[in-house]
Order: sequence, then C-alpha cells, then structure tokens
Amino acid sequence: MNLHWDVVWDNLPRLLAGAWMTIWLSVVTMALSIPGGLVLAFMRLSPLSLVSKPATAFVEFFRATPLILQIYWVYYVLPAYFDVQMSQIATAIVGLTCNISAFNSETFRSGIVSIRKGQWSAGRALGMTDIQILWHIILPQAALRVLPALATTWVSLFKDTSLVSIISVPELSYVGLKIRSETYRILEVLTAMAVLYWLMGYPQAKMVDWIHRRFKVVE
Amino acid sequence: MMQERQNSSRVGSDAPLLVLQNIRKRYGSVLALDDVSLKVNRGEVVCLIGPSGSGKSTLLRCANALDIADEGGVIFEGKSVDTRSAEETRRIRQRMGMVFQNFELFPHLTTLRNIALAPTTVLKLDREKAEARARALLAKVGLSDKEAAYPSMLSGGQQQRVAIARALAMEPAVMLFDEPTSALDPETIGEVLSVMKKLADEGMTMVVVTHEMDFARRVGDWVVVFDKGRIIEEGFPGKIFDDAAGERTREFLRHLGWHGESSGGRPGSTSGGDQK
Repeated sequence: MNLHWDVVWDNLPRLLAGAWMTIWLSVVTMALSIPGGLVLAFMRLSPLSLVSKPATAFVEFFRATPLILQIYWVYYVLPAYFDVQMSQIATAIVGLTCNISAFNSETFRSGIVSIRKGQWSAGRALGMTDIQILWHIILPQAALRVLPALATTWVSLFKDTSLVSIISVPELSYVGLKIRSETYRILEVLTAMAVLYWLMGYPQAKMVDWIHRRFKVVE
Repeated sequence: MMQERQNSSRVGSDAPLLVLQNIRKRYGSVLALDDVSLKVNRGEVVCLIGPSGSGKSTLLRCANALDIADEGGVIFEGKSVDTRSAEETRRIRQRMGMVFQNFELFPHLTTLRNIALAPTTVLKLDREKAEARARALLAKVGLSDKEAAYPSMLSGGQQQRVAIARALAMEPAVMLFDEPTSALDPETIGEVLSVMKKLADEGMTMVVVTHEMDFARRVGDWVVVFDKGRIIEEGFPGKIFDDAAGERTREFLRHLGWHGESSGGRPGSTSGGDQK
C-alpha cells in the first residue's frame, strides 16, 4: 500500500482555511443563538399564548427534524418560494442558528424555571420590578446553571457544522472531501481531516468536562 | 435572657400603621383565610401564633401583596392599597421589610451585595452609599467580618441575620417575619431572636409569625392566635399565655409544651410546632 502523505502537506493551507471556516461558523452561530435562544425562552415563558405558542412551535419544529433537512430547506425552499436570496455562508448560518437557538431556548428556559420561587418573592418583597429581579437575581444564577448544557451544545455544533458542506460552504469537511475527489487519496485526506477535527475538538471536550465539574449545581 | 417588655396598654392605638380588613383567601378548595382582620400600631410587636397551616403566613403575604387576597382590604400608613396595581404594591413593599423562613438570600452575591442590591436598584442609591449602609447593618446584626462571604459559607443563623439586614436596608416602616427561626438549627435560633429583640427595643414595628412562644410572650405587645384560617383569640401576651379564654388556644399552647410562665424563661426552650 502506497501512502502519499505529501498530498496532505501540499493541501495543508486549504485544509487549515477550511478549519478556520469551521471555527468561524461555530462562533458566529453560537453568538447569534444565545440571544436567539433567550428571546425564544422568554417568549415561551410568557403568559400570553399569542407570544408563547409560536415560539413553542418554532422550537419543537427545529428540535425534532434533522439539521441536514433544515439546511436543505433553507437553501432550496426559501429562494424558490419566498424569493429570499442568500449566499451559501448566510444560508448555513441561518440554518444552524435556527437549530441551535431552539436547543438553547430549552436550556435557558429550564435554567430560569429551576431558580426557586422564593428568590422571586425575596426580590418582590424588596420592591424590585420583575425585570430587575430577572436581571439581577434570576439570570445570573441561571447563567451558571445553563453553562454545562450550553457547553455540550457548543461541542455538537462544532461538529455539526460539517453538515453545511452539502451546500458547498468551504469549511473543513467540504474542503477535505473536495481534495479527496481531486487526488483520490482517500485514507490520507480523511485521516488528516480526523486529526484536525480531533485537535480542535478534544480541548473543547476537556473544557466542557471542566465546566461540568466547576459549575455543578449545589443547592 | 430576654427582658419582658412594658406592655400594660396597647400602644398608639389611634393611628394604626397597618390594617388588614376582612381578608379572605382561597387556594383551590381550601379556604386559607376566612374573614381575618388585623391591626398593627406603630412601634408594636404583633405575634401571630397557631398551628401550621392555620393561615398566619398567608396573612403576612397578603399584607405586602406577595399573595393577593380574594376579598378584603389592606390599609397602610393611612392609605388604602390597591394590591392589584404593580406600581402601588412595589411602593408599599419598599416600606415593608420581609424575612422568610428559608432566608432566600441571593446565593450569587456576597452578603454586602445582598444587602446593597435593593437600595441601589430600587432606591437608586449610588453603590458607595448603599454599601456603607450595608456595612452599618452588618455591624448591627453582628456580622461585620462576613461582608465578603457568600451565603453558602454562613450558618443558618448568620444567613437569617443577613436577611434581616437586607430587609432593614430599605428602611422599612414595618418588618414582617415569616417563621424566621423555623428552618434553623436549635443552637442558632437564639442569635436571630436576640437581633429581633434588639429591633423591637429600638421601636421597630414588627409582625412576627412564630412558633417561639417564649419570644411571643416576652417581646410581643399583642398576640393573635390563628386556627383553621380564622383568628380565634387575640390579646396581650400575659392574657393569652397565662389566662387564655379559649379552649383551642389552651390546647395549642399545651401541645407546644407551654405550661404557664413558670416553665418558660430560656429563649427557644418552648419552641415546637413546625420544627423537625
């Protein structure tokens, strides 16, 4: 068996550019999905069903369908039927953000509800408004509680960005598979991709473990 | 040892600070409060006693609109309160300090920030002023060395003293205590009761839901006995504890191990009821 590792070395700049795109996509998606998730969570906690119902529908749709289908849907259906034209990268970000926002909203919602009712009573008894209580008392406590779940979502997001390769976004998977089809060096290229993903993913997984230990809820 | 307070006549009875009128409160099919009225005069310590679930805490929560009464009225500082108006309930809550059975300190804030939070957010005091006030109150409750501590690092008694300081930081006209010692280990009950005694001696108006009969006997100016959502008896502590008219009251006191003043004397010695 002849191995041609020089294929990997020759294409390393392209692979690294793909890896960079993977990181960039993950960061941008998460940066949008945290406010997105918060908005959805607050909507779902609203006593007005006109506000809570659409948010629930959104969340349940995006949590219960495959991400790959959602990406295709945004890519093909939006332009064809709703006259929305977006670049591939924008499409990828919209699809990923809808999906991750849905997951984040559930994380945030459970974090907010997990704070004891008595904390609200204590804030109210001091004459604080509900917004002040939420901002100064509930959210800071909830933030620590949701951090572990948020970190777990982040690691899946990082790997799931590979799915947007189907719409030709030049992230690591797309670039890797492209090099493979150009060179036919399957083992070398796939191994290089795995190594790159692992080098980036392993420290994150360790970080998540640390976050889980550090921010474990102690009542 | 607690000194008995002078209470030969009900103080300032012409201008009550807080009046609860014909309060009725229902939880589902349970009638928690059935036509209950209460008057609290300025400078007075009113103790609400009675079996668990008899409506004492609910009445307290109706006073500052944490619970909304189905019927009846709240009159505070001479004005009738619209308990359904968010703005008005916030205004009266600022004037009514509340201490909870489970402290409900904010676990993510140091004791200093716990106390300074409401003065900065509600009263818009600047941080320096609010923290100076918080420090003075920590000194008052004997916890000056704990300003940087988080609640989880404190004993139950210390947490409850911080909670009292937090309520006092709003400079309330009345303090509402909802079973402030029921969740405490017996050895820390005394330190909380003595802070409360000190407040009473300074003339703070207080409404105290308690199972500490010795405290009610010695610090209370007026004692109100609840049973099944109704007030069954009220009067001066001497009258209630030594010469209760109602059989239900005597039965309740006997159940707590109260056999007249001769058996009392040590703070916490007659505690009972809810404590496990």
